[in-house]
Amino acid sequence: MDKSIRVDDSAKNIHAELRHLADSISQIIKGIRVAQEPIADSRNKVPQATKQLEKVTQQTAMATHRVLDMVEAITSREGEIETQIKELRRVLPSTYFRNNSRVKRIVERICVNVSSNQNDAYAIMDALQFQDITSQQVDHAISLLEQVENRLKDVLVGLQLDVGPENDVKRKERAYDPNAHFSNNSNEQSEVDELLNNLTKEKQNN
Amino acid sequence: MSRRILVVDDSPTLVKFVSYSLKSSGYEVVGACDGMDALEKVSHLESDIDLVITDLNMPNIDGYELIATLRQNDKFAEVPIIILSSEEGDEDKQKGEKVGATSYLVKPFKSSVLLAEVARLLD
Repeated sequence: MDKSIRVDDSAKNIHAELRHLADSISQIIKGIRVAQEPIADSRNKVPQATKQLEKVTQQTAMATHRVLDMVEAITSREGEIETQIKELRRVLPSTYFRNNSRVKRIVERICVNVSSNQNDAYAIMDALQFQDITSQQVDHAISLLEQVENRLKDVLVGLQLDVGPENDVKRKERAYDPNAHFSNNSNEQSEVDELLNNLTKEKQNN
Repeated sequence: MSRRILVVDDSPTLVKFVSYSLKSSGYEVVGACDGMDALEKVSHLESDIDLVITDLNMPNIDGYELIATLRQNDKFAEVPIIILSSEEGDEDKQKGEKVGATSYLVKPFKSSVLLAEVARLLD
Protein backbone atom coordinates (compact mmCIF):
# COMPACT_ATOMS: atom_id res chain seq x y z
CA MET A 1 0.00 0.00 0.00
CA ASP A 2 2.79 2.43 0.98
CA LYS A 3 4.58 1.61 -2.23
CA SER A 4 1.59 2.54 -4.42
CA ILE A 5 1.22 5.90 -2.58
CA ARG A 6 4.87 6.69 -3.29
CA VAL A 7 4.44 5.85 -7.02
CA ASP A 8 1.34 8.01 -7.14
CA ASP A 9 3.20 10.96 -5.55
CA SER A 10 6.11 10.56 -7.97
CA ALA A 11 3.75 10.52 -10.93
CA LYS A 12 2.11 13.70 -9.66
CA ASN A 13 5.52 15.35 -9.26
CA ILE A 14 6.60 14.32 -12.79
CA HIS A 15 3.31 15.56 -14.14
CA ALA A 16 3.78 18.92 -12.38
CA GLU A 17 7.36 19.18 -13.69
CA LEU A 18 6.24 18.37 -17.25
CA ARG A 19 3.47 20.95 -17.03
CA HIS A 20 6.00 23.50 -15.78
CA LEU A 21 8.35 22.58 -18.64
CA ALA A 22 5.54 22.87 -21.19
CA ASP A 23 4.64 26.31 -19.80
CA SER A 24 8.26 27.41 -20.06
CA ILE A 25 8.53 26.16 -23.64
CA SER A 26 5.28 27.92 -24.45
CA GLN A 27 6.70 31.15 -22.99
CA ILE A 28 9.92 30.72 -25.02
CA ILE A 29 7.91 30.16 -28.21
CA LYS A 30 5.87 33.27 -27.45
CA GLY A 31 9.10 35.19 -26.90
CA ILE A 32 10.54 33.92 -30.19
CA ARG A 33 7.33 34.85 -32.02
CA VAL A 34 7.53 38.34 -30.53
CA ALA A 35 11.18 38.56 -31.71
CA GLN A 36 10.32 37.30 -35.21
CA GLU A 37 8.77 40.52 -36.38
CA PRO A 38 11.60 42.88 -35.36
CA ILE A 39 14.23 40.44 -36.71
CA ALA A 40 12.41 40.13 -40.05
CA ASP A 41 11.81 43.87 -40.08
CA SER A 42 15.50 44.62 -39.42
CA ARG A 43 16.48 42.18 -42.14
CA ASN A 44 14.12 43.83 -44.63
CA LYS A 45 15.49 47.28 -43.82
CA VAL A 46 19.07 46.38 -44.79
CA PRO A 47 18.41 46.49 -48.57
CA GLN A 48 16.81 49.92 -48.10
CA ALA A 49 19.91 51.13 -46.24
CA THR A 50 22.29 49.75 -48.89
CA LYS A 51 20.19 51.34 -51.63
CA GLN A 52 20.38 54.68 -49.84
CA LEU A 53 24.15 54.41 -49.41
CA GLU A 54 24.57 53.50 -53.09
CA LYS A 55 22.56 56.60 -53.97
CA VAL A 56 24.94 58.71 -51.86
CA THR A 57 27.92 57.28 -53.75
CA GLN A 58 26.27 57.90 -57.13
CA GLN A 59 25.38 61.47 -56.27
CA THR A 60 28.82 62.36 -54.91
CA ALA A 61 30.36 60.75 -58.01
CA MET A 62 28.15 62.86 -60.28
CA ALA A 63 28.99 66.05 -58.38
CA THR A 64 32.70 65.20 -58.39
CA HIS A 65 32.69 64.58 -62.15
CA ARG A 66 30.94 67.90 -62.67
CA VAL A 67 33.57 69.71 -60.63
CA LEU A 68 36.34 67.83 -62.49
CA ASP A 69 34.86 68.93 -65.83
CA MET A 70 34.68 72.53 -64.65
CA VAL A 71 38.24 72.50 -63.32
CA GLU A 72 39.34 71.00 -66.64
CA ALA A 73 37.62 73.85 -68.49
CA ILE A 74 39.23 76.45 -66.19
CA THR A 75 42.75 75.08 -66.67
CA SER A 76 42.14 74.90 -70.40
CA ARG A 77 41.16 78.60 -70.47
CA GLU A 78 44.16 79.50 -68.31
CA GLY A 79 46.34 77.65 -70.82
CA GLU A 80 44.78 79.73 -73.59
CA ILE A 81 45.62 82.95 -71.71
CA GLU A 82 49.24 81.77 -71.43
CA THR A 83 49.33 81.09 -75.19
CA GLN A 84 47.78 84.49 -75.96
CA ILE A 85 50.37 86.31 -73.83
CA LYS A 86 53.15 84.44 -75.61
CA GLU A 87 51.57 85.49 -78.91
CA LEU A 88 51.35 89.08 -77.68
CA ARG A 89 55.04 89.05 -76.80
CA ARG A 90 55.81 87.61 -80.23
CA VAL A 91 53.81 90.13 -82.27
CA LEU A 92 54.74 93.26 -80.34
CA PRO A 93 58.07 94.89 -81.19
CA SER A 94 60.83 93.80 -78.81
CA THR A 95 61.19 97.36 -77.55
CA TYR A 96 57.50 97.63 -76.60
CA PHE A 97 57.75 96.24 -73.06
CA ARG A 98 61.03 98.06 -72.49
CA ASN A 99 59.27 101.36 -73.26
CA ASN A 100 56.03 100.51 -71.44
CA SER A 101 57.06 99.31 -68.00
CA ARG A 102 53.52 99.56 -66.61
CA VAL A 103 52.13 97.26 -69.32
CA LYS A 104 55.06 94.93 -68.74
CA ARG A 105 54.22 94.71 -65.00
CA ILE A 106 50.53 94.03 -65.77
CA VAL A 107 51.40 91.23 -68.19
CA GLU A 108 53.83 89.72 -65.68
CA ARG A 109 51.13 89.87 -63.01
CA ILE A 110 48.66 88.12 -65.36
CA CYS A 111 51.25 85.36 -65.93
CA VAL A 112 51.74 84.89 -62.18
CA ASN A 113 47.96 84.72 -61.62
CA VAL A 114 47.53 82.22 -64.45
CA SER A 115 50.19 80.01 -62.94
CA SER A 116 48.62 80.28 -59.45
CA ASN A 117 45.17 79.46 -60.86
CA GLN A 118 46.55 76.38 -62.62
CA ASN A 119 48.28 75.19 -59.43
CA ASP A 120 45.07 75.70 -57.45
CA ALA A 121 43.09 73.83 -60.11
CA TYR A 122 45.47 70.86 -59.79
CA ALA A 123 45.12 71.01 -56.00
CA ILE A 124 41.30 70.89 -56.38
CA MET A 125 41.57 67.89 -58.68
CA ASP A 126 43.90 66.11 -56.24
CA ALA A 127 41.43 66.76 -53.42
CA LEU A 128 38.55 65.33 -55.48
CA GLN A 129 40.07 61.89 -55.00
CA PHE A 130 38.11 61.93 -51.72
CA GLN A 131 35.17 60.63 -53.76
CA ASP A 132 37.01 57.43 -54.69
CA ILE A 133 38.12 56.92 -51.07
CA THR A 134 34.67 57.59 -49.57
CA SER A 135 32.98 55.33 -52.13
CA GLN A 136 35.31 52.50 -50.99
CA GLN A 137 34.39 53.24 -47.38
CA VAL A 138 30.67 53.21 -48.28
CA ASP A 139 31.13 49.90 -50.15
CA HIS A 140 32.72 48.47 -47.02
CA ALA A 141 29.76 49.67 -44.91
CA ILE A 142 27.32 48.13 -47.42
CA SER A 143 29.19 44.86 -47.30
CA LEU A 144 28.95 44.81 -43.48
CA LEU A 145 25.21 45.54 -43.69
CA GLU A 146 24.78 42.65 -46.13
CA GLN A 147 26.56 40.38 -43.65
CA VAL A 148 24.12 41.51 -40.93
CA GLU A 149 21.21 40.80 -43.30
CA ASN A 150 22.48 37.26 -43.89
CA ARG A 151 23.03 36.63 -40.15
CA LEU A 152 19.47 37.77 -39.40
CA LYS A 153 18.21 35.39 -42.07
CA ASP A 154 20.22 32.57 -40.45
CA VAL A 155 18.59 33.38 -37.10
CA LEU A 156 15.11 33.19 -38.64
CA VAL A 157 15.92 29.91 -40.41
CA GLY A 158 17.51 28.50 -37.23
CA LEU A 159 14.37 29.28 -35.21
CA GLN A 160 12.18 27.83 -38.00
CA LEU A 161 10.40 31.15 -38.37
CA ASP A 162 9.03 32.73 -41.51
CA VAL A 163 11.99 34.18 -43.45
CA GLY A 164 9.69 36.30 -45.60
CA PRO A 165 10.07 37.05 -49.30
CA GLU A 166 13.60 36.88 -50.68
CA ASN A 167 15.14 40.17 -51.73
CA ASP A 168 15.35 39.92 -55.52
CA VAL A 169 17.68 42.93 -55.90
CA LYS A 170 20.78 41.79 -57.75
CA ARG A 171 23.82 42.31 -55.53
CA LYS A 172 26.60 44.37 -57.01
CA GLU A 173 30.05 42.80 -57.00
CA ARG A 174 32.10 44.99 -54.70
CA ALA A 175 35.86 45.41 -54.86
CA TYR A 176 37.14 47.83 -52.28
CA ASP A 177 39.90 48.40 -49.80
CA PRO A 178 38.35 48.28 -46.30
CA ASN A 179 41.24 50.41 -44.99
CA ALA A 180 40.95 53.19 -47.59
CA HIS A 181 41.41 56.59 -45.98
CA PHE A 182 42.05 60.14 -47.07
CA SER A 183 45.35 61.31 -45.64
CA ASN A 184 46.67 64.84 -45.89
CA ASN A 185 50.37 64.42 -45.37
CA SER A 186 52.20 67.73 -45.38
CA ASN A 187 55.47 65.98 -46.15
CA GLU A 188 54.14 64.91 -49.54
CA GLN A 189 54.84 68.23 -51.26
CA SER A 190 58.49 68.19 -50.22
CA GLU A 191 58.74 64.65 -51.61
CA VAL A 192 57.24 65.87 -54.89
CA ASP A 193 59.63 68.78 -55.06
CA GLU A 194 62.57 66.48 -54.43
CA LEU A 195 61.39 64.06 -57.10
CA LEU A 196 60.94 66.87 -59.63
CA ASN A 197 64.33 68.38 -58.77
CA ASN A 198 66.03 65.03 -59.28
CA LEU A 199 64.24 64.62 -62.58
CA THR A 200 65.35 68.07 -63.76
CA LYS A 201 68.93 67.35 -62.70
CA GLU A 202 68.88 64.01 -64.52
CA LYS A 203 67.64 65.71 -67.70
CA GLN A 204 70.30 68.43 -67.44
CA ASN A 205 73.03 65.83 -66.99
CA ASN A 206 71.89 63.90 -70.07
CA MET B 1 54.22 60.98 -81.39
CA SER B 2 52.62 61.07 -77.94
CA ARG B 3 53.07 58.17 -75.56
CA ARG B 4 50.02 56.01 -74.93
CA ILE B 5 49.04 55.08 -71.38
CA LEU B 6 46.47 52.50 -70.26
CA VAL B 7 44.62 53.58 -67.08
CA VAL B 8 42.65 50.83 -65.29
CA ASP B 9 40.41 51.56 -62.29
CA ASP B 10 36.84 50.64 -61.34
CA SER B 11 36.34 54.17 -60.00
CA PRO B 12 35.23 56.41 -62.90
CA THR B 13 36.38 59.40 -60.80
CA LEU B 14 39.92 58.05 -60.62
CA VAL B 15 40.04 57.23 -64.35
CA LYS B 16 38.79 60.73 -65.17
CA PHE B 17 41.22 62.42 -62.76
CA VAL B 18 44.28 60.41 -63.87
CA SER B 19 43.32 60.74 -67.56
CA TYR B 20 43.02 64.49 -67.30
CA SER B 21 46.38 64.82 -65.51
CA LEU B 22 48.08 62.69 -68.17
CA LYS B 23 46.36 64.35 -71.14
CA SER B 24 47.28 67.81 -69.90
CA SER B 25 50.91 66.65 -69.94
CA GLY B 26 50.62 65.47 -73.55
CA TYR B 27 50.00 61.76 -73.09
CA GLU B 28 47.36 59.77 -74.92
CA VAL B 29 45.10 57.80 -72.57
CA VAL B 30 43.11 54.59 -72.92
CA GLY B 31 40.75 54.08 -69.95
CA ALA B 32 39.38 50.76 -68.66
CA CYS B 33 36.98 50.00 -65.78
CA ASP B 34 38.57 46.71 -64.63
CA GLY B 35 41.14 44.08 -65.60
CA MET B 36 38.78 42.32 -68.00
CA ASP B 37 37.92 45.55 -69.79
CA ALA B 38 41.65 46.41 -69.97
CA LEU B 39 42.58 43.06 -71.57
CA GLU B 40 39.68 43.41 -74.00
CA LYS B 41 40.78 46.93 -75.02
CA VAL B 42 44.44 45.93 -75.32
CA SER B 43 43.53 43.04 -77.63
CA HIS B 44 41.77 45.45 -80.01
CA LEU B 45 44.39 48.21 -80.04
CA GLU B 46 46.43 48.60 -83.17
CA SER B 47 49.25 50.63 -81.66
CA ASP B 48 51.29 49.79 -78.58
CA ILE B 49 50.78 50.83 -74.98
CA ASP B 50 53.85 52.53 -73.49
CA LEU B 51 52.84 52.37 -69.83
CA VAL B 52 50.09 50.86 -67.67
CA ILE B 53 48.58 52.41 -64.54
CA THR B 54 46.30 50.07 -62.62
CA ASP B 55 44.29 49.79 -59.42
CA LEU B 56 44.41 46.54 -57.40
CA ASN B 57 40.90 46.03 -56.00
CA MET B 58 38.65 45.64 -59.02
CA PRO B 59 35.75 43.34 -59.93
CA ASN B 60 36.07 40.57 -62.55
CA ILE B 61 39.86 40.63 -62.98
CA ASP B 62 41.83 42.42 -60.25
CA GLY B 63 45.09 44.33 -60.64
CA TYR B 64 47.38 41.43 -59.71
CA GLU B 65 45.79 39.11 -62.25
CA LEU B 66 45.85 41.83 -64.89
CA ILE B 67 49.57 42.47 -64.40
CA ALA B 68 50.38 38.74 -64.41
CA THR B 69 48.36 38.25 -67.62
CA LEU B 70 49.95 41.27 -69.33
CA ARG B 71 53.44 40.06 -68.41
CA GLN B 72 52.76 36.79 -70.22
CA ASN B 73 52.21 38.79 -73.41
CA ASP B 74 55.49 39.57 -75.23
CA LYS B 75 54.19 43.06 -76.07
CA PHE B 76 53.97 43.89 -72.38
CA ALA B 77 57.08 42.13 -71.15
CA GLU B 78 59.02 45.38 -70.80
CA VAL B 79 56.19 47.92 -70.43
CA PRO B 80 56.37 49.81 -67.09
CA ILE B 81 53.37 49.13 -64.85
CA ILE B 82 52.41 51.46 -61.99
CA ILE B 83 50.04 50.23 -59.29
CA LEU B 84 47.73 52.87 -57.81
CA SER B 85 46.16 51.54 -54.65
CA SER B 86 44.83 52.62 -51.31
CA GLU B 87 46.42 49.48 -49.81
CA GLU B 88 49.47 50.75 -47.93
CA GLY B 89 50.89 47.48 -46.61
CA ASP B 90 54.29 46.12 -47.63
CA GLU B 91 52.62 42.80 -48.37
CA ASP B 92 50.59 44.35 -51.21
CA LYS B 93 53.64 46.12 -52.60
CA GLN B 94 55.66 42.90 -52.54
CA LYS B 95 52.82 40.96 -54.14
CA GLY B 96 52.60 43.63 -56.86
CA GLU B 97 56.32 43.46 -57.46
CA LYS B 98 56.17 39.67 -57.58
CA VAL B 99 53.56 39.64 -60.38
CA GLY B 100 55.58 42.18 -62.37
CA ALA B 101 54.68 45.74 -61.32
CA THR B 102 57.38 48.36 -61.78
CA SER B 103 56.20 50.95 -59.31
CA TYR B 104 53.59 51.50 -56.55
CA LEU B 105 51.79 54.70 -55.56
CA VAL B 106 49.39 54.94 -52.61
CA LYS B 107 46.00 56.66 -53.04
CA PRO B 108 45.25 59.46 -52.57
CA PHE B 109 48.25 60.88 -54.43
CA LYS B 110 49.23 64.19 -55.91
CA SER B 111 48.96 64.38 -59.69
CA SER B 112 52.45 65.93 -59.78
CA VAL B 113 53.85 62.78 -58.09
CA LEU B 114 52.14 60.56 -60.63
CA LEU B 115 53.34 62.68 -63.55
CA ALA B 116 56.91 62.68 -62.22
CA GLU B 117 56.80 58.89 -61.86
CA VAL B 118 55.37 58.44 -65.37
CA ALA B 119 58.09 60.72 -66.80
CA ARG B 120 60.79 58.82 -64.91
CA LEU B 121 59.59 55.46 -66.22
CA LEU B 122 59.13 56.61 -69.80
CA ASP B 123 62.42 58.52 -70.15
